[in-house]
Amino acid sequence: MGAHISIPMYQRAVPQRYRLVGQRCLKCGKVNFPPKAVCKYCNAGFEFEEVTLSGRGTVYSYTIIAGGGAPPEFAEQAHCQGSYPVVVVELEEGPRVIAQLVDPPPAGITIGMPVRAVFRKIYEEEGVIRYGFKFRPA
Amino acid sequence: MEGVAIIGAGQTRYGDFPTKGVKELFAEAYLEMLQSVDRGLDPQMIQAAYIGCLSAGSGFQLGQLAPLLMGHVGLPHVNAVRVENACASGGFALYNAACAVASGKFDLVLAAGVEKMRDISSSKGRYWLGVSGDTEYERLAGSTFAGIYALMATRYMHEYGLKREHLSMVAVKNHRNAAANPKAQFRKAITLEQAMNGVPVAYPFNIWDCSPTTDGAAVVLLCNARRARDFTSRPVYLRGFGAASDYLAIHDRSSITRLNATRKAAAEAYKQAGIGPRDIDFAEVHDCFTIAEILAYADLGFCEEGRAHYLLEEGITQLDGKLPVNASGGLKAKGHPIGATGCGMAYEIFRQLRGEAAEPVRQIKNARFALSHNVGGSGGTAAVFIYQRGDE
Amino acid sequence: MSISVVSYGVYLPFLRLRREEYVNALGSCSADIKEKTVMDVDEDTMTMAVEAARKAVAGLDLERVGVLTLASTSYPYQEKVMAGTIVEALGLRKNILTGHHGSSTLAGTEAFLSAAGLLVGSGEKYALVIVSDAPVAGASAEMEHSFGAAACAFVLAADEQGLELEGFYSCVTESLGLRFRPAGEKEVRDIGVRTYSNQAYNETVGAAVKGLLNKLGQKPAGYRHVILHQNDVRTTVALAKKLGFGDEQIQEGLVYGQVGDTGACSSLLGLCRVLEKTVPGDKILVGSYGAGGASQALSFKLNCRLPGRSESFQVLLEDKKYISYTHYLKLKRSI
Repeated sequence: MGAHISIPMYQRAVPQRYRLVGQRCLKCGKVNFPPKAVCKYCNAGFEFEEVTLSGRGTVYSYTIIAGGGAPPEFAEQAHCQGSYPVVVVELEEGPRVIAQLVDPPPAGITIGMPVRAVFRKIYEEEGVIRYGFKFRPA
Repeated sequence: MEGVAIIGAGQTRYGDFPTKGVKELFAEAYLEMLQSVDRGLDPQMIQAAYIGCLSAGSGFQLGQLAPLLMGHVGLPHVNAVRVENACASGGFALYNAACAVASGKFDLVLAAGVEKMRDISSSKGRYWLGVSGDTEYERLAGSTFAGIYALMATRYMHEYGLKREHLSMVAVKNHRNAAANPKAQFRKAITLEQAMNGVPVAYPFNIWDCSPTTDGAAVVLLCNARRARDFTSRPVYLRGFGAASDYLAIHDRSSITRLNATRKAAAEAYKQAGIGPRDIDFAEVHDCFTIAEILAYADLGFCEEGRAHYLLEEGITQLDGKLPVNASGGLKAKGHPIGATGCGMAYEIFRQLRGEAAEPVRQIKNARFALSHNVGGSGGTAAVFIYQRGDE
Repeated sequence: MSISVVSYGVYLPFLRLRREEYVNALGSCSADIKEKTVMDVDEDTMTMAVEAARKAVAGLDLERVGVLTLASTSYPYQEKVMAGTIVEALGLRKNILTGHHGSSTLAGTEAFLSAAGLLVGSGEKYALVIVSDAPVAGASAEMEHSFGAAACAFVLAADEQGLELEGFYSCVTESLGLRFRPAGEKEVRDIGVRTYSNQAYNETVGAAVKGLLNKLGQKPAGYRHVILHQNDVRTTVALAKKLGFGDEQIQEGLVYGQVGDTGACSSLLGLCRVLEKTVPGDKILVGSYGAGGASQALSFKLNCRLPGRSESFQVLLEDKKYISYTHYLKLKRSI
C-alpha cells in the first residue's frame, strides 16, 4: 500500500525530478527548490525565472533507513539492499533537498561530503516507473 | 477573553487492545472523564467536541468520525468535528476547544483524541506512519518518520557534540517513569546498555529511540473558568495555549536542530500565561523519538539551544529532578496513540496537579505550573499548553 | 556531407559480480569473464542511458540537438516512447526527431546509422545516439553468466571535425544464431547449438566486415583498432584474426572480460574504450551483431582529438563494488 501520487501529479513534477529545475525569485534573487508559489526566502516574491540546478552539493545530514521500517513503496529496494541512506543535501545554489544517496563510500557518510545528482528509479506505482534524482558521492 | 479550566479527564490504558476499536476506546476514556467530574455533570450540557484522530481506525471512517463517536456515547446532537494534524491532532483538538471556551461562545467543550493502530498489517502500519510528512519529497526519498528525526539527530550530533548515549538516556528515563504508570504501554525499565543496542531503525536510532504504535483514547472536558467550581472542587486552569506551524518538509526549514513551530507555540503560551520556562514545575513533552525530547528542552526554553544533553547528564529532567519531564513515560514508553497523545498529556497533568497520580512513587509534589507539548509529524505543527493547579 | 562523432559518454553501473561468485555458487561459470557489471535495484536501461548521455552532451548547445536515437534490447517498457524520458532528463528541445531501436543486439549500430541518416535528411546540427543495454536471462540459463550492463552515448555532427564515419556495410541473413526472445517473454532463450551459433556469427559479421573493406578499398592493416561484437572473447578474437587483424588491433577493444556481454552496447562500448588510445589519422573498424541475424560494419577515421573526458574508461572500470551471487539474485528478483 503506497502513498498514491497519480500519474498526472507525478508528471507535473518531472522537470524538478528529472533535471532539478528550480526557480530564482525575481524579488530577492534566491533560488527555491523544490518550487513554491511564493518565495520561501522573502515570503513575498511570486514571480520567478526557471533555473536548472547543477546537482552539486554537500551532505547536510544523513540517516540510514533499516530495511524493516521502509515505507511500503521501498520494500523491494530494502529487500535487495538491506538498508539504504537518505540525505539532506545542501545544493551549491543554496536550497536543501532530501533524497537517497546511492553507492555510499565504504568508510561511511560524513556531513559536508560532496555529492552530485544522478538519475535513478525512485519507485513504481500502477506499473509506471517514477524516475528522479538521487545523489552519489562526487 | 474568558478563562479556561479543565474539570474532568479520562484516558484508556495505552497499549494493544484487540477487543477494542475506536468507538470502544473513545467511550472508555469518555466515561472515566465523566466520573472524574466530582460534583457531577449532566453530559447533555456539553456544547461542542473537538476530536483528534489521524487514521480514523486505519481509514474506515475518514469522513465524519466525530459524530460517529459522539453518537456512540449518547451525545448525537453535539457540535462535533474531527481535528487532524498528525501526531498533534489531540493537541490541536485541545487548542481549538480552549479557544472555543475562551471566546465565550461555549462554556462546556470536549477535547478528545483517539487512535487505533494495532489492528493492521505491518505494511499498512508503515503506510499510515508515512502519510504526515511531505509525501512528494520526504516519503519518496524512502524516508520514514524515524528517518526524518534521525536526520535532525545526526545534524544535532554534528553541531553540538550530542552522543549516542544521550539519546538512550531519554529512553531509559522515560521507560523508568512508565514502569510506575498503570496506564502506560511499556511498564518495564530498561538499562542504558539495552537502550544503546537495540535493532537499528534509522541511524542513529535503534528501536529504543522510537515510540511504539499504540491503541488508546483520551478525553478532557473544558469549562469556562468562572463556572468550573460548579462541577469540581479542584479544577486545573489552562493559563496559556499556543499553536503554530512550520514548513512541512525538513529541507525547507532554516534549521533542523530546532522546531520553530514549538518555539512560536511556546512563546504564545508563555505570554498568555504570564510566566516563563523557569516557572514550570514539570512537563509532558513530545518524545516520539528520543531526539525530539532533546530538541524540546531548548525549544521550550528549559535550556539554551545545543545544551539539552547536559540536562540529561545532570538528571534535571528525571522524576526526582528539578524539572521532571515525561513523568508519564512519554510517547516513548507510555505509548503514542497518535490522535490521543495531546489529550493524554493533559490527562496526566490534570491528575498530577490534583495529586491523583495513582501510584505514590510517581506523584510530583508541590507543583503549581505544568506544561504540555504536542508536535505534528516532524514539526509541521506544534501546540503548547500551560496549566496551573486550581486550589489557589 | 560528412558525419563525425564529436563527443561521447560511457556509463558503467557501480556494482560488479566476479566470475568466482558463479563458480562458488554453481560449481562453474560458463562465461570467460573476469567480472561483469550489474545494475542496482534502482537502475534500468533508461537511467543508464541518461547518465551516459549527460556525459556526452556536457558543454553542448542542447538547442541544436535535433535528432535522438535510442537502442536497447531491454527497455523498461515494451510500449512507450522512451525518448521522452531522455528529453526531459537532459532538457533537450521537444521538436526532436526520434528513432527507437530494439529487438536485437544489432540495435546499437542501427541507432547510430539512423541518427546519421536523420542528421543528413533533416539538416540539423547535432544528433544524439544512446545505446543502453542489460540483456536478461533466467538464473538457470548458462548464457546468463555473461550478461552485463552498460550504456554509451555519441553526439554526431554534420561537417565537423571528429571521429568521421567513413563508410558502413551490412549483412542480413535468416539465421537464428545465438539467442532469441519470443513476444511477451522477459528472458532470452539460448538455442544451445554452439557450433551452429558460432558459425552464424562468423559468417554474418565476417561478411559485413569483408564487404566494408572491399567497398572502401581498405585492408585490415589500415586500421589501428578493430572491435567486433563480443558474446565471448574466444569467438570474437578468432574471427578477427581470421579476417586478417592482429592481436595489437584486437586487444584494446575487448571490454567483455570486465563488463560481460552488454548486448547492443557491446561493440560501441569497445569503440569508446579505444578512442582514448587513438590519435588523429587512426582508423577504427566496428562490427556489430544481432542474432537472427545481421551485422553492420562501420569504418571510422579520427580527424581531430575528441573533447577530454573527466573520467577515463579505466577509472569507470575501477569505480566499483563487488556483490555476492545472493545479492545478485535479489537484484534479478530471483529471490
